[in-house]
Order: sequence, then structure tokens, then C-alpha cells
Amino acid sequence: MHIGIDVGGTSTDGVLLHRGELVQSVKKPSRQEDLAETILAVLDGLLEGRDAGAVRRLVISTTLVTNLLATQKGARTALILVPGRGLPFDFYRIAPDTYFLKGNIDFRGKVTEPVEEAEIERAVADIRARGIGRIAVAAKFSNRNRTVEQEIARAIKRLYPEATVVLGSETANRLNFPRRAVTAYYSAVTAPEWNGFADRIEEALHRRGLKAPVDILKADGGTMPLVLSRENPVETVFSGPAASAMGAVALSRRKENAVVIDIGGTTSDIALLIDGEPLHASGGALINGRLTHINALALRSLALGGDSAVKGESGRVEITAERFGPAACFGGPVATVSDAFACHRGLKLGEAERAREKIAAAAAAAGLEPGPFAAAVVEQALERLGALIQGMFREWENEPAYKVWEIVHRRRFRLDRLYGIGGAAELIVPLLADRLGVPYLVHRLAPVANALGTAVARPTLAVSLYADTQQKRYLVDREGIEGSIDNPEGFRLEEARKTAAQCLARLAAARGAAQYLNDTRVILAEQFNMIRGFSRVGKIFRVDVQIAPGLIDEFEGVAD
Amino acid sequence: MKPTGLLFFPAFDWAISPSHPEREERLLYTRDQIFEEGIMDLPQVREYQPRLAEARDIARVHFCVPSIKDIASEAHLVAAGGSLVMADAFAAGEIKNGFAIIRPPGHHAMTVAHGNRGFCNINNEAIMIEYLRRKYGYRRIAIVDTDVHHGDGTQEIYYHDPDVLFISFHQDGRTLYPGSGFVEEMGAPPAVGTTINIPLAPYTTDEGILYVLDRLILPLLEEFKPELVVNSAGQDNHYSDPLANMRFTATGYAELNRRLAPDLAVLEGGYSVETALPYINLALIMAMAGIDSSNMREPDYDPAAFKEDPGNLARLDRIAALQLENFRRREDERAAAIKKGPPFYSTTRQIYYDTDHIRESQQIKQRLCPNCCSYRVIASAAVHAYGQISRALCFSIPLYCCSACREEARDAYRQAVQEGGGADYIYLQDRAADDYRRFDSRGDTEETIN
Repeated sequence: MHIGIDVGGTSTDGVLLHRGELVQSVKKPSRQEDLAETILAVLDGLLEGRDAGAVRRLVISTTLVTNLLATQKGARTALILVPGRGLPFDFYRIAPDTYFLKGNIDFRGKVTEPVEEAEIERAVADIRARGIGRIAVAAKFSNRNRTVEQEIARAIKRLYPEATVVLGSETANRLNFPRRAVTAYYSAVTAPEWNGFADRIEEALHRRGLKAPVDILKADGGTMPLVLSRENPVETVFSGPAASAMGAVALSRRKENAVVIDIGGTTSDIALLIDGEPLHASGGALINGRLTHINALALRSLALGGDSAVKGESGRVEITAERFGPAACFGGPVATVSDAFACHRGLKLGEAERAREKIAAAAAAAGLEPGPFAAAVVEQALERLGALIQGMFREWENEPAYKVWEIVHRRRFRLDRLYGIGGAAELIVPLLADRLGVPYLVHRLAPVANALGTAVARPTLAVSLYADTQQKRYLVDREGIEGSIDNPEGFRLEEARKTAAQCLARLAAARGAAQYLNDTRVILAEQFNMIRGFSRVGKIFRVDVQIAPGLIDEFEGVAD
Repeated sequence: MKPTGLLFFPAFDWAISPSHPEREERLLYTRDQIFEEGIMDLPQVREYQPRLAEARDIARVHFCVPSIKDIASEAHLVAAGGSLVMADAFAAGEIKNGFAIIRPPGHHAMTVAHGNRGFCNINNEAIMIEYLRRKYGYRRIAIVDTDVHHGDGTQEIYYHDPDVLFISFHQDGRTLYPGSGFVEEMGAPPAVGTTINIPLAPYTTDEGILYVLDRLILPLLEEFKPELVVNSAGQDNHYSDPLANMRFTATGYAELNRRLAPDLAVLEGGYSVETALPYINLALIMAMAGIDSSNMREPDYDPAAFKEDPGNLARLDRIAALQLENFRRREDERAAAIKKGPPFYSTTRQIYYDTDHIRESQQIKQRLCPNCCSYRVIASAAVHAYGQISRALCFSIPLYCCSACREEARDAYRQAVQEGGGADYIYLQDRAADDYRRFDSRGDTEETIN
């Protein structure tokens, strides 16, 4: 048995799969103040009359971290930065308690200015005096040399042993110091609440005799074990949209380019599938206006949903961003987007007469007949959704490229299919698909697609290796893995690839991901000869390998 | 406030040869520095992506012999296309200024291009400028070439054009490639005074370059009143550059760009890939974006390390006085040349292609017209490394040519095509009509370049 539980803004859905069949689903209102309680209530609903010991895997997608960051209620955290050479320090005032230290690392990891012990001591003493118990530390180019951050961590341990420390080089290691600093900071900010949540879940599952692995859905559409999420809780941010994208993947199981549109009450969330895999945002997740190094899906949201109120005003038709209740046909107080689509398509939905009255009233205010008014609303909604989708295609086509080959062979997005999820999908998606000129699918299981996607998402893992044969060393951006290159002359791209793959395998074992290693993909492999004078003194490599988001092997799809 | 446009195209899959200064590694550390700084995430900066320049964009500037395909590889088309993307963004008002960090470079490429010289095949700045003039109607343009090498290609392309002020400061041609760029190179008679060369003594420092900027370059721009200022932004005046002998720093480059305030900057040379380029490029981006760049400097930077020689400053004073006078006399000189002269000004020239080992001789004729900046005819013969010779006859009609001269030039092209005249290829470049043709006399075929 596989269980997936997806916490949403208003309700939490759970599904239980047995031999690939959906055998049970449960829906409960989300209690944002106690998400663990909500999750456990859904779990109990799913397990009623069943043996908890038979559960093979439980996956949870929760809004805990998203909410914590949105409401800025995380733990007070100090941020110690070593920005070195570059922008003025003021550009990096990321947190209210930001401390700057002198010191500099260059792009090849050479420490060109050391940090001063006395400066570290002053900063730590101040943090301690202010009673701040959590400290995030990030240095520019710490992805090329971790020693500066580690030196600061040692000093903190000595001077303020009670403080918890998060290092930038241990949370994210790609280039981009501000994103690394933000990621480390939010990791520290969310950790205490997350750990409390994890403790409760673990304890409750233990009591229920559920011994199966428990995984958490991440922003990238993959999972990680609950126990490892304690190190990087911030990776669980925005897992809701990831759940719906994985739901579409699970329902389609086609290697197609598709748009997944989740049309809720007041918003539509749009994700793209490329060859059947969710597309990631190249900028990383955007949290409170700041970019991070967290792998997240490329998503667009529009304040337009089935319950969005529509009104007419002096000849104009307007779709507002407001919701006054459900659609008029379901007893709501005003005409909505759903009512307009139902009216336009001549569908008898709920209290159709009541909906027609409300539409007629709004149309009268615009000086229009009900028919043309509904048509205008439909046109406006399709136009806005269509433009947003086209914009996403263009963005994907124009992703930054730094090689001649990539520019000459610019890709074009060819859409194969539109997937609809969410309450209003049935009404809107057929017309939207028609406008985009592609077939569509609103699956019978669309209402629980999020929970289903959560249940069957497989683990993901990405590793980036940086190797410098002149310095005879390599670094990997996870868990502080690094090593020496014993035979620099013989270390070619092939060896760099192998080393990256070995590191991936080592990390995959601890993440229940070993079975997906045969699907390891090389995302990027670049090599540069270092020439000084007229001879080669070494090579620099970067190799990114990953287990991409996908479905667990045990899942073989559900019938249409 | 509008952002600064940034187009970063390091051509990580292109090199002249594996150990050549123009190799994949050249902008690697610049990439590291730009991305580690998170420059592209700033509201002050907007990143753009290059596209391929079209054949017509190249033909608007160059006569590529034997053909554009043979001279401009895909890498060259992407680099040139990158400068066009920046130009479009600027002309559309999306950005307050723009910096195209592109390679391969272009400022040694001349009107007639038989191959690669000074690491350049096609001239990115000229292609950008002619595109801007054609598409958006710009006319008066100033180019300040800040590369350590004389921008001889750009100079040659605009030598006859009084609407383009070309200023180049560089290490003295007696001590460095390409061996030109002396004060007496002032422009062809119809455009005399709008080519300004500032040969600098080796070891000139930040102080010296900023000195000549304040006393000569900025006053020239002030008087010329260009609609657009382009920085042909080489970075090899740096104290660590392996191919030159100057003592400029990243701080100096930032200050230069702050004072110059170019509308568009296009990367040219600079081969100190690890100890200079990351710092100069970042400092330059910050200067253009209006960000304080005082924290962006080389790890070994020492403001007291280089002292300017007072004798050098005195020499720069003399150059400034001389060139200001040359510039201010330009209208009179031009009028006198046209009045007295025969209908054609003509000259000959030898050009050496260091990278491709080609020796080219040219005969150049320019029509002297009281009403316009008239057409040029270039007869070119190039001897390649293994003795093969290619001959080209080129007719170039500028955008602001009067209709009488334009007709005359088109007739001359037609006649040459009929008579052959010993050239393997005959070209027509009619910028006024945006019409570009290439006649292959061996196959007796004419093609229109689109």
C-alpha cells in the first residue's frame, strides 16, 4: 500500500493505493495551526480497517514551511556573511540581523584575504548578547572553498556552543552567493518548527505501528526522507504545486510536452511538462521576493479561478480578483467565471436558472445581453490564461545559453496536450485547449491528483561536481563531499563524470533512491583547458548529474 | 529607473585554437564572478540572450571574400547578433545602457574581410551601428575604442564618414600590434578630423588614461554631440595583461566608464583571463548600472603601486591640444578638400592578416561630393598563405548618400559586372536601399544577400 497526503490551503487530501489501484481517498479541512494533526486525521481515515504494517511508503506534501516563510514567523536567525570583493555590502542586507566580516575567496577557491578572528568574536558576542539562537553563515565562493565558513562555525561552537549553525556551503553550492545566503538563512529560520513537526509525525507513526519509509515532497517534484528533511527543511517549500504537477505526470504517463493547469477558486496555477517531466525554474524558488538555490518547478499563477467574481460596468466586462463565495449556480451570491463558462457552453450546472439571473444582472450593468456578456468573460479568461501560457513557452525557449551550439539550435516549444486539475477545470479547460489547438484531459481522478502525485513521486537527487586538476581537487555540492585528484593528467571529462556518478550513488543510498540510479542523467558537462603562457596547466570541469523527478517503479498508472 | 542591459555570451564552445588567447577559458572566471555576485538577479540589471545576426547585417558593413559563410562562422554570427540584441533593447527604451560581453571580438575587422586579423573576422561594433542607423535612424555616433590595441578595423570602416567620430586610445603602435593608430591618421579628406588617435606610452596608468579622457575625449564628445556613444571595450590595458604593457586597473576601467557613460559597450580584447577580466567586467557592469564599484577590485590591487610619469602627462597635454585643433578644423578641411579636389580621392593600402597570414593590397577611391558623404570603390587583391590570390571589387554606398551619387555607384557596379574587369567577385553594398549583392565572375552569377 502506498499513501500520499497533500496539505492544501483549505483542505487536505489523502489517497491510498493498492496494487496500483486507488482504493481509498479522504478529504479533511486543513487546520493551518496544527498541520500534523490534520495529516494524522487523514492518515487515520485512510487506514481505517487496514493494517498499518502493510503500508510500503508514506509521502507527505505540506505547506508548513511555505506558511512559515510567508508569515515570517520562523525563528530569529542571525546571518554572518563574508561577501569579499564585489558589490557593496549593503546589497546583502538579507536579514534584520546581518553581520559582515572581512575576508575574500576567489573563483578558484583561493583565500586571498583571511577572516579575522577578532571580528568573528565580536559578531558572535553580539549575536549571543541579543539572545539569537540560530546562525546562518555564508561566504562568497564558499562553493569553491568551504574552509572560511568552517572556520567561522568552529569559532561559534567555541564561543557560543548552544547556538545552531547552518552553513551556506552545506545547503546550496551552485554559483550565486546571495541565493546561497538566502537559502542558508531560510533553512535556519524554518528548522525548529520543522523539526517539531517531524518529531510529532515520527512519534505518531510509531504509535500506529507504521514502519514504512516516510518521505516528504520537495519543491522540485521529488521526495526526500523525513529524517533528511531536518537538514534542509526549506526544500519543502511550494510542494503544493509540485504535487499537482506530479499528479498530472501520474495521470498521463506520456512523454509529451504539456501544460498542467490547476484551476482553483480564485487562482490558476500553471506548470509545464517537457517530455513528460516537470520543468524547473532556472532561477530557483522565489521566497518573499528573494531568489534561492532551491530547485522548484517553473510555475505561473494568475488571480483567476472558477469563483472569481465577474461584473459589468459602463460597457466593460471585468473579471475581478475577488471571491464572494462559490459560483452562483452552487448558491453563491454573485456571477462568477464558472457561471459564465457554463452559460456560454449551454451546460446545465447546479442551479442553472439562478446562475443565468446573476449573469443577466451583471450583463445589464455592462449594457449587454447575457449571451454576449458571458462570451466576453470567456474570451477575456481564455486570453489571459493563453497569454500566460505562451509567455512560459517563450521563457523556456529563451533560457540563458552560453554556447554557440545552443544559440544556433534554439529550441521551440511544441505543445502536445493540456491537463486540467481543480474544481473549475471541467468548465474552462476544453475551451482553453481549443484555443491552444491541442487535445486535453480532465481525468476522473483530477480532484485527487495532488494527493496521487504525492503518493507516487519518486526521490530526486542532484549533484554538482566541480574539479580543478591544477589544484588536484574536486568538490561536490552535498554533505561536504570533496576529494583529491591523484592523477591530474589522466583526469578527463569521463573521469569527472564517473566521480560525479559515484558521489550521486553514495548519496542515493541514504535517500532510498538507489533503485533509480540507472536513470541518472548528466544535465551539464563542461570542461575548460587552463592555459598559462602557451601550455596547459590544468583543466576545470563541472558536471551536474541527477535523478530527475519521476514516478516510483511500483506505480503503473491508473485507468482513464 | 531603467535597468542596464547585459548580454553575456562567453562562447564556451569556440576557440581560434586550443592554446590561443581567444579560447573557451577566456570568460570562464568572468562567468564565475558574474554569477556568484548574483548580478543578473539585481533590479538594476536585465539579462538578454543573443541571436544570430543575419547575412544582410554583415553585408551592410563588410565585403566578405569569398562569401559571408567563409568568413563569419556561427560563433561570429552569435557574437554580432548579441550586439544587435543590445542595440534593439536600447533603441526600444527598455534599458538605460547596455553591455554586450561577447566573443569572438571584432574591432580589427575591416570593410573588406578575407580572413581573421587580430583575432577578428567581422566587426561587431560597426555591424551594430549600421543596424541602428538603418533600423532606428541614428546618424551621429561616437565610438571610443578603449582596447589596448588600435581599433584599426573600426577606424577603417568609418575613415570616410564625417558622421561617426572614432576615438581610439591604445598602446603606441610602435610598440604593439597592429602598429597603427598615430595622430596623423585623421580620416579621409571628406571626413578629416573625425578620426582621433591617442597613442599612449607603454606603462601608462589609470591617472594617465583618465587625464586624457578628461582633457580630450570628453571635450570632443561634448562638441560633437553624438546621438549615441559606443565603448569598444577592450580590457587589455590592465597591468596583468600578457599581450600588452599598460598599467590600468579595474578601478580605473570603472571610473573611465562612469565618466564616459557610454550608451552601449561591446567587449573587445583582454587576455588576462584570471587576474583581470573577472574584476574589470564586474567593475564595468557596476559602473554602467550606477552601482558603487569601489569594493570590486583585484585581490592584489594597490592604489599606490603605479605612479604616473609627469613627462607622460605633459605629452598627453600636447596630444590633447593637437587633436582638439584637428577636430575643430574638420569642417573647413572637408570643404577645402571637396572644393579643390578631383572628383575622386584615391589611395592605396597594404593590410596584413596576422592570424590567417594573408597579405592584401587595396586601391580605394572615394567620390568627393559637396552634397553628401559619397560612395567608395575598393579594389582588393589578397594573397593567401599558400599563394592563392583572390580579387574583389567592392562598391559601397553609405546610408546618407545623395541620389545622384547613388545612381552613379549603382551604374558603376552594373558596368563592372558586365565587363568583369579581372575581379573574382564584385560586390554592391547599397545601404540607402538596404540592397546587398555579390557577383561571382567565375560562375557568372549574382546573388542578393538577405
